[in-house]
Amino acid sequence: MKRIYKIAISLAASCALLLSAPSCTDLDETVYDQIPSDSFGVTQDQINSIVGPVYKTLKGFWPGDLFCLLEETSDMAVTPTRKGGDWWDGGVHMEASLHTWTARTSLVRNSWNSCMEGISRCNQVYAIIEGANMDDELRTRTLAEIRGVRAFWYYVLIDMFGNAPLATDFKDTELHGVTKRTDLYKFVVDELNAIKDIVRPEVNSSSYGKFTRGTAYTLLAKMYLNAEVWTGTPNWEGVINASDEVMKLGYSIEPNWKTSFLVHNEVSKEIIFPITFGKSDGGNALHYRTLHYLDPIALGMTVGTWNGICAQPDYVKQYDIEDNRRTGSFLLGPMIDPATGNVLITAHQRELIHTIDLTTIENTEKDGTLWGEVNQEDGGRANKWEYEVGLASSDQENDYAIFRLADVYLMKAEALLRLGRDNAEATRLINIIRERGYGDTSHNYTAATLDDLYLERRLEMAWECVTRQDMIRFGKFLEPGLWRPGKTPEYRLLFPIPYDAWQTNNKLTQNPGYPAF
Amino acid sequence: MKHVTNMIYLFRKPGLIGLLLFFCLAATVAQQSTVKGKVTDEFGEGAIGVNVLEKGTTNGVITDFDGNYTITVANSQRTVLQFSFVGYNTKEETVNGRTTIDLSLSPSVVNLGEVVAIGYGTQTRREITGSVANLTSENFNKGVTRDAAALLQGKVAGLSITSGSGDVGKNATIRLRGISTLQNDQGPFIVIDGVPGGDMSSVAPQDIESISVLKDASSAAIYGSRSAGGVILITTKRGSASKTLVSYDGYLATSTLANKPNMMSADDWRAYAKANNQDGSMYDKYGANTDWFDEISRTGISQNHSVSMSGGGSKNNYRASFTYLQNEGVIRDNDLQRYSFRFQFQQRAIDDRLRIGLTGSGTLTDKNEADTRNFVLSYNLLPVYPIKLNDGSWFDTREYDQGNPVRNQDMNQNNYQNSLFYGNGDLSFTILDGLDIKLSLYKSRHMQDRSEFRNSETERGRDAGGWAQRTNEKWDKNLMEWMLDYTTSFGKDDAHKLNAMLGYSWEENEWSKARVANRNFVTNMLGANSIQSGQGLRADDIESARNMNRLISFFGRAHYSFEEKYMITATIRRDGSSKFGANNKWGVFPSASAAWGLSQENFMKDMKWLDDLKLRVGYGITGNQAGLDPYKTLELYGTDKTYYDNGSWKTAYRISQNPNPNLKWEETAMFNIGIDFALFSGRLSGTLEWYDKRTSDMLYTYRVPSPPYMFTDMMANVGDMQNTGIELALNWNVLRSKSLSWTTSVTLDHNTNKITHLSNDLYTTSRVYVGDAWVRGGSGNTTHVVEEGRPVGQFFGWKFIEFDKDGHYVMEDVNGDGQISDDDRTYIGSALPDLTYGWNNSLNYKNWDLSIFLRGTVGNKVLNHPRMAYAQPGYLIGSNALNDPLIYELKEVPKYCSLYIEDASHIRLDNLSLGYTFNTKNISWLDRARVYVTGQNLFVITSYKGTDPEVNMDRNNGLSPGVEDREFYPKARTFSIGLTLNF
Repeated sequence: MKRIYKIAISLAASCALLLSAPSCTDLDETVYDQIPSDSFGVTQDQINSIVGPVYKTLKGFWPGDLFCLLEETSDMAVTPTRKGGDWWDGGVHMEASLHTWTARTSLVRNSWNSCMEGISRCNQVYAIIEGANMDDELRTRTLAEIRGVRAFWYYVLIDMFGNAPLATDFKDTELHGVTKRTDLYKFVVDELNAIKDIVRPEVNSSSYGKFTRGTAYTLLAKMYLNAEVWTGTPNWEGVINASDEVMKLGYSIEPNWKTSFLVHNEVSKEIIFPITFGKSDGGNALHYRTLHYLDPIALGMTVGTWNGICAQPDYVKQYDIEDNRRTGSFLLGPMIDPATGNVLITAHQRELIHTIDLTTIENTEKDGTLWGEVNQEDGGRANKWEYEVGLASSDQENDYAIFRLADVYLMKAEALLRLGRDNAEATRLINIIRERGYGDTSHNYTAATLDDLYLERRLEMAWECVTRQDMIRFGKFLEPGLWRPGKTPEYRLLFPIPYDAWQTNNKLTQNPGYPAF
Repeated sequence: MKHVTNMIYLFRKPGLIGLLLFFCLAATVAQQSTVKGKVTDEFGEGAIGVNVLEKGTTNGVITDFDGNYTITVANSQRTVLQFSFVGYNTKEETVNGRTTIDLSLSPSVVNLGEVVAIGYGTQTRREITGSVANLTSENFNKGVTRDAAALLQGKVAGLSITSGSGDVGKNATIRLRGISTLQNDQGPFIVIDGVPGGDMSSVAPQDIESISVLKDASSAAIYGSRSAGGVILITTKRGSASKTLVSYDGYLATSTLANKPNMMSADDWRAYAKANNQDGSMYDKYGANTDWFDEISRTGISQNHSVSMSGGGSKNNYRASFTYLQNEGVIRDNDLQRYSFRFQFQQRAIDDRLRIGLTGSGTLTDKNEADTRNFVLSYNLLPVYPIKLNDGSWFDTREYDQGNPVRNQDMNQNNYQNSLFYGNGDLSFTILDGLDIKLSLYKSRHMQDRSEFRNSETERGRDAGGWAQRTNEKWDKNLMEWMLDYTTSFGKDDAHKLNAMLGYSWEENEWSKARVANRNFVTNMLGANSIQSGQGLRADDIESARNMNRLISFFGRAHYSFEEKYMITATIRRDGSSKFGANNKWGVFPSASAAWGLSQENFMKDMKWLDDLKLRVGYGITGNQAGLDPYKTLELYGTDKTYYDNGSWKTAYRISQNPNPNLKWEETAMFNIGIDFALFSGRLSGTLEWYDKRTSDMLYTYRVPSPPYMFTDMMANVGDMQNTGIELALNWNVLRSKSLSWTTSVTLDHNTNKITHLSNDLYTTSRVYVGDAWVRGGSGNTTHVVEEGRPVGQFFGWKFIEFDKDGHYVMEDVNGDGQISDDDRTYIGSALPDLTYGWNNSLNYKNWDLSIFLRGTVGNKVLNHPRMAYAQPGYLIGSNALNDPLIYELKEVPKYCSLYIEDASHIRLDNLSLGYTFNTKNISWLDRARVYVTGQNLFVITSYKGTDPEVNMDRNNGLSPGVEDREFYPKARTFSIGLTLNF
């Protein structure tokens, strides 16, 4: 047994030796390619790089699923199922167009998620900046900008979902139920009033793409414009006052309508609140979504596009043939192969001509509806944002104006018309926009009506995510539409809270009219 | 018989034996003694060429013509002599002062004296208490083999090896006893010559001596937090002091497509157009009849040359080898070349108390990976299109999912150059008799340099105006292991045997990457060799990254046996990993197992027909941390591309994940019962096992609400999963005579997988829809569900009944509400088989040997995705389709439903090999010469309508297995002719 003791001792000694060396049990991670959160955000440059992603959340607004849901549920655009079944995708676009979406429709879910991730990002960065070591004045302004972006996301939620959970503190990990639309409305208006004098008033290169005073007032105008729908109480005075505040700032209506839609439209003085797009960050994929597979040949690009969303025929037909905004907004007619000078031919042996009309192919209707397959080349494509000749496999760089001055002009005109006050001023504002669209004064109104205003908004703002909101405000959203013969029930003025959101937060309650969770 | 031949050729070399004897004698010192004797076979004849080895050393001799041997041993009492010969039971005899030891060896299919690697040590088969399968080189699969997985495929019950692709650079999916994680199951943990975490491709198949598969937790738990998927131990060949050997092994092979999709020919396509009144006149100008699958494939030529030399003296042994493998895929842009070098040198000093070993290995691989996009193009392109136009220029088209795949193959590149080097130093010192201390130091570096280029004229490159990317990755591993090993025996006749082992291991892994891409090139001439010349550089085209993880472990094992009747083993391992969360840094993984050698009991001695009967039972806890990436538990800032500020784009930073400081390993507890038996003088032997394997704290990415969380998903240890199964391995020596023998062996396994839990208080999910069966107009189709009470790989969708007169699907109205909605989807089959089997027959007749190996599965389902996507008329006549009746029948967008879920039960003649061993009696310089021809993947019998019933099981992190993708690379049928020469 002596031997065994000896062994035991030597074993114990060896173990002790091994364990005594601290490096032998050191499990700390050396982090090489990322930065522990407590050692970043020290310099102003670092702080700026943390704030940057707050603005990047806006890419969730346009031109992805949220954009599709807003435009396809209105009478502006449609992603039709194309011959063979392209874009059928389980009927999600049909559900949007036929107003039969449910709490499980992916477009609804993804739109909600864009808003929620935007809000979370704002709250997170807000908490970081609150504790950051920086100049107090700059901190106050930065925090105000973050609150502004968050207010914008709540504005989108109020518009689409009405009721939503209100979360403003990142450290608060409690799950919240929905806050009522009227209370969210009050929250957003209060936030905007609290920050409007803190954020920058300048209209220049350094304020471009930031939440500025102009943005705050435009967003206030939007809130007041829809106050009647959202709260039951109109506030047209508020629209006029907020619009006047915007017009006092350094913005101007660009003489050339296209300036705001160019590849390098950051020069536009009309843009108030843009989503900035660049090749290094991507995000503007509208050309992929809308162009036919062979369109890039005609347009001098080499990207591979997807042949999806196009304009609804009746929307295009509102435009006067002399209105430059008609072809300025829609890609119509034959697409020419520059190599041959002939019209391009599709694989279905058809000429690539983008017709205004969408022709349903016989016997392709789905599930007893009028929704059927249309030819691959049918429909006017988005042509508002300049296509970049030579663009190779890349997102576009055109910025997207969430708010621009033309919209503000029309908002003020609408408020005046609704109040029946100063028709001359309202007409003047509408004519400024109309004259630019036609290129001359020959189509100007002498005394504009509310219907004229509504039409002008539609002609001016195609593809810019306002049609649904306008239709609701003008009481037209529930009317029959493309392939939709019946009226829509009123509860569908709001989208349902997505089922998936409820799955992770059981405190959420469904909007009225939709099946309860 | 093979071994008879072996005896004969060794017999021809008295010179060598004499030389060896001389060395042995020369090494003799004072207390040594000489032992001699005669070894006979089962026929009572002298066994020629039997290895007689002084156990624990490299001191050995070989029996001569008549089976006689003489060996000088170090200790006349305690020395144990080991007698081993291929195909015979190894016997051990303690010298105990004898000078003559005669004995007879008995043949066996299961060699109970066989030494088996068990992880940080070895045991004889008789001593093993856990579930360990061992395969030695003579049982390996033959023909074209790239790595250990190819050698093992179908040979071990419970080990499923699935080749999901014909790509010669792609690895098979390996699963032992079912899927045990939702987090990209990595399969068994690989240990090469004791080094944990190895890469199978770093060992040439020709260098492998044996492979042990640790199947149950009681044997695998010694590898702790990485062993839940089981462990595969690869032992390479070593030099032997008993013979110097130069060996050549080579083959030439040709491969062709075993099967391909049945597309419409030009005539079929015209007939369709005519039948449906479609005008295809614009295509008349082409007038070709191209089978695009034929055009992108070829006859692949492969060759392998392997040379090794080995030998040694009483104090040392060595082996060095070089293997060259060239493997051409059946798809034109796919090939692999590999150069493997390996040397091992072992030497003893200080009265044999110190043993030092050095191993070095290098593997250089060049491979071109097939671009699977070309399969999609081949499904879509019309047969009337030519490859090249009459003027010699390439044909191409920009229509959706179309483009010239041959042009893609010819002009584009996806090349990998890998180099893997490692060195390993072992030092072992005998402190006391039976007590050894061992140190192992290991360093490896794996570099991968990938060059991708897409020519601007091709379908792949035209969108970007040409695109190139160069990626360099580096994996480093540093390892230090200390072990104390104590073996003793006591009592009457040393009836009690005890072995104890204690160890410490420190391992650090580091990974880094540098990548650069560019686009829009002025010329295509520079490929990926001048990336700076592109004109479309973006911020995210340049990337570098680096991470590390460290694993520290303490482990131990004790094994006790009494008269080889009662055996018990206990192991424990404590693993700490830097990847685990701050709240869970260390885990403990214990195991215990016991075996009862029933046949050793006196009351069984009368049963002469029973050679061996052993009952085994074991329980252990193992872990898995493969699904856990470094830094997952920390709150970190990472870059988030760029943001716009005052006219320029600047780098953005954001907190990159929801940190979870509670993250830890997944834990798998397994209970295993087994019976090993050998009957009728070893004619019938086998193993039957049952196991119950339960995984808990399963990692899964849960959806969490945002806000309050920043991101909507978060990884957490929540779920549970269960695998139960039964395995049977049977060997039957049907015929056994001097000139003719026939052995048939069968492996069968049945596994039931079930996810038992997915939710807890914090993280809940009921049913997760996963997988994607994309068809044009049908994105967002999910194919599988991950759900409590269901197996992984559960297909979920509509139940198809028939087509109505309009060519629309009629689905079963499961909830009876009169309409077909998502709520009518139901369980429509599982991708996991009910039964997996392998059946091997080896026949030897005189100098001929023949092996026939079949394998297959029963009861698994495969989604025939190509049929769903391309057996439809929607895009005809602008795109091609499968030549399938559905193109006339179906009149709507394909819907994912049970119609496309097909029974993939099959039997495959995987390997047929015929060899002839020459009589080299009269050639003094030649030991052995054998030629063989092998056919691989000769036929498949199945009712499955797609290309191959054996498909990728890794898809979507393993959560949507059993789908024949549109990008499926069809498998090859291979014929090879080979030659083995030993000098």
